[in-house]
Amino acid sequence: MVPNWHTYWKFPGDAGIPTEINWKLPEGWKVGEIQWPIPLKLDEPGDIQIYGYHDEVLLMQEITPPASLSGNAVKLVAEASWLVCEKICIPGSANLKLDLPVASQSGSVNEEIFSRYRRSLPQNWPDTKVARSTWQREGNELRLTVESAALANYPAADFFPLPEPSVVVSHPKTERAGDGKIIFRVPIETDDKNVSALKGIVIFGQNQNGPDRNAWSLTTAVVSAAAPSMPDAFWKYLLFGFIGGFILNLMPCVLPVISLKIFGFIQHAGQDRRRILRSGLAFVAGIFAWFIGLALLLISLKSAGREITWAFQFTNPYFVVGMSAVVLVFALNLFGVFEISLPQFANRGVLGWTAKEGDAGSFFQGVFATVLATPCTAPFLGTALGFAFTQSGWTILVMFVAIAAGMAFPYFLLAAQPAWLRLLPKPGPWMVRVKQLMGFLLLATLLFLLAVLGAERGVEAIIWTSCFLLALSLACWMKGAFIIPTASATSRFISIVVVLVLVIGSGYFFIGQKFAVAKTVSAETAAHGDWQPFTPQLLESEVKQGHAVFVDFTAAWCLTCKFNEAKVLESAAVRDAFQRHGITKIKADWTNADPAITKILKQFGRPGVPMYVLYPGNNAEPILFPELLTQNLILEKLETVSAQVAAK
Amino acid sequence: MKTKLLTALLTIVASTTLFAADSPAVGTNAPDFSLTDSKGKTQSVSQYKGKYVVLEWFNPECPFVKKHYGSGNMQKLQEEFAGKGVVWLSIDSSAPGLEGYLTAEQANAKMAEWKTKQSALVLDPDGKAGRTYGAKNTPHMFVINPEGKIVYEGAIDSKATPNPSDISGATNYVKVALEESMGGKTVSNANTKPYGCSVKYK
Repeated sequence: MVPNWHTYWKFPGDAGIPTEINWKLPEGWKVGEIQWPIPLKLDEPGDIQIYGYHDEVLLMQEITPPASLSGNAVKLVAEASWLVCEKICIPGSANLKLDLPVASQSGSVNEEIFSRYRRSLPQNWPDTKVARSTWQREGNELRLTVESAALANYPAADFFPLPEPSVVVSHPKTERAGDGKIIFRVPIETDDKNVSALKGIVIFGQNQNGPDRNAWSLTTAVVSAAAPSMPDAFWKYLLFGFIGGFILNLMPCVLPVISLKIFGFIQHAGQDRRRILRSGLAFVAGIFAWFIGLALLLISLKSAGREITWAFQFTNPYFVVGMSAVVLVFALNLFGVFEISLPQFANRGVLGWTAKEGDAGSFFQGVFATVLATPCTAPFLGTALGFAFTQSGWTILVMFVAIAAGMAFPYFLLAAQPAWLRLLPKPGPWMVRVKQLMGFLLLATLLFLLAVLGAERGVEAIIWTSCFLLALSLACWMKGAFIIPTASATSRFISIVVVLVLVIGSGYFFIGQKFAVAKTVSAETAAHGDWQPFTPQLLESEVKQGHAVFVDFTAAWCLTCKFNEAKVLESAAVRDAFQRHGITKIKADWTNADPAITKILKQFGRPGVPMYVLYPGNNAEPILFPELLTQNLILEKLETVSAQVAAK
Repeated sequence: MKTKLLTALLTIVASTTLFAADSPAVGTNAPDFSLTDSKGKTQSVSQYKGKYVVLEWFNPECPFVKKHYGSGNMQKLQEEFAGKGVVWLSIDSSAPGLEGYLTAEQANAKMAEWKTKQSALVLDPDGKAGRTYGAKNTPHMFVINPEGKIVYEGAIDSKATPNPSDISGATNYVKVALEESMGGKTVSNANTKPYGCSVKYK
């Protein structure tokens, strides 16, 4: 072919038609199907994607003569027709003739070209020990998961579909989901819900359309045999969930509450063992209750077709106001402003609830600690959740239980083995001081929550929330000062009324009226330094122009994000490197749950922020960074990637 | 195993195409455009609400388009359904300098030469309508019902070849879709794979 012209593969893609060869063979001769070499994937303007061949292609067919032949020679005739396109398309056809002598021994010709093209044929799907494939139908999308350690070494992987004529597919998307695990998503446009798998080939090589590519062909028969690959991976993800839950205990947002619990254990150290066990189990139950509740909520939202993501509750400003109020009340409690006591009726309990006040308190501490933990998507948790969010309701539930188990594990140990508490210091007056100190830690948490509100709703929102919090503090003080058993019934009643009026009135006025009208800070007006605010159009146009783009998916309430930004992304070394490699920096602020950003998070299989993506330019595949960044990681990747892109 | 788990966590996730401009799905509202036809009149989909509208992506140089016009197949279809009140818009989305681009005069000359029977030949040199509809082939066909919903998208017929001799044995999907939809039935084959030349966008 003339340079840049192409003919088409068996499945031509969005346009074109495959080359056809019709044989006219003598009696008794048989011909096999065309053996199509791995095609190139070619892009044309207008998002047109085709599969075809440049320059030269050899379409092999195996011809089998009958067992015995008479005569000296045989004539094989074929009619070939093709479409060859560049800017324009020209149909072509030819009548081909081949005269072969009949002989008892075979002599081969053109061995070089045949052996060259044999090497570029897709191979049969390997043993399931080497590579496993699973198909999954999700709405209008077919998802092919290929698990193979062999693929980890190939940066370019793709799936070229070979759909049945009645099935219309759109462009497959490739997604790396871990070590040697690749997910191909193929949109199905035909309205046929029974399409559950496709034929096709899985391509892998050093780069897209490179000469060294290999391919495995996927026939639908192999697919069903490979189905039981799930459980193994599932256990692995459950383990991640457990470890992630354990690590949540160390996240800065939970630490203050956790210290409280440890402190509680110390207080009870000398006491009845069963009481310690009960209080510990109540705390553990609180952790489980929250995670199971969250799982059920997510499942119901997911089945309702909503976009769900991790820590999504923090994108709701009213949730943050509520959290601020709870944190402040806890802090005042620690300072000794008032004591938390459950109302009498709860203690008596119509259903014979015999739980002591301490147990209920422990339970809610468990819930509280866990609520605070959610915005810290710990590194392990990200993987586990990313997996869970693509799964069925049951899987999500089991996953969350695994996370809860991980988080609860240390308390369970301490509660079951209080002997280990002896390692902790003896109780004494110092405990009051520590308690007050913890109160300040909670106030620090409050500052963080207010900062989140400011980012979501602006300064005014912080002011109105603070007014509400002040009224709430006053109510707490009144509770501690006047609603006490020694006060007369009348003064207790009056105080309760005043407290209720303060809380409800200020809540209604400051939050319901003033806060509600505070303007949402749009992503465009927020200050981002030399980062450009994200819009899908900006990202698309930068990527299309072949620029290298780094996108920081962040949110005001995400501590891991803030840490990464301060320590890595804004460090002098990384800033210089970005500049040197001419990288466009885009900040995608998910504080208010921008749906355009949610969509991209989902495309990368991530349930929430942080997420860091580098588009290396020249249409190379984007690279996803882990959730905890290091300077070296970014610098190394920038070097290798820009070298690769330059080489291309 | 431990290192494997760790690397699994730190592995890079990649995704190739982020923004696929797919055709609007069958059953959804037909997107609108406003373009000038070869006669200088403004054409849009919305102005024909209440009527069936056929959109046909057109490129007079493409062998697959020539197959259906050279044989008179497309003209016959246009004439038949014009008689039933169907609006037929042929759209040329070839960019200037590329195959099939037509000025208004050239378009009128081509229509006269081929004796075409469409309601209008819409000129879309910027590819606006083409990209909105995700038109990828010539011919690439859309049928829009009187409520403005897309009821068919895909090929002109069932035989994906450039040979006019294949027309007689092929099922014409557009004809079937129009007849079924006008008869109050749901279109049995509402989405097929279009075949032809790629639309020559800039």
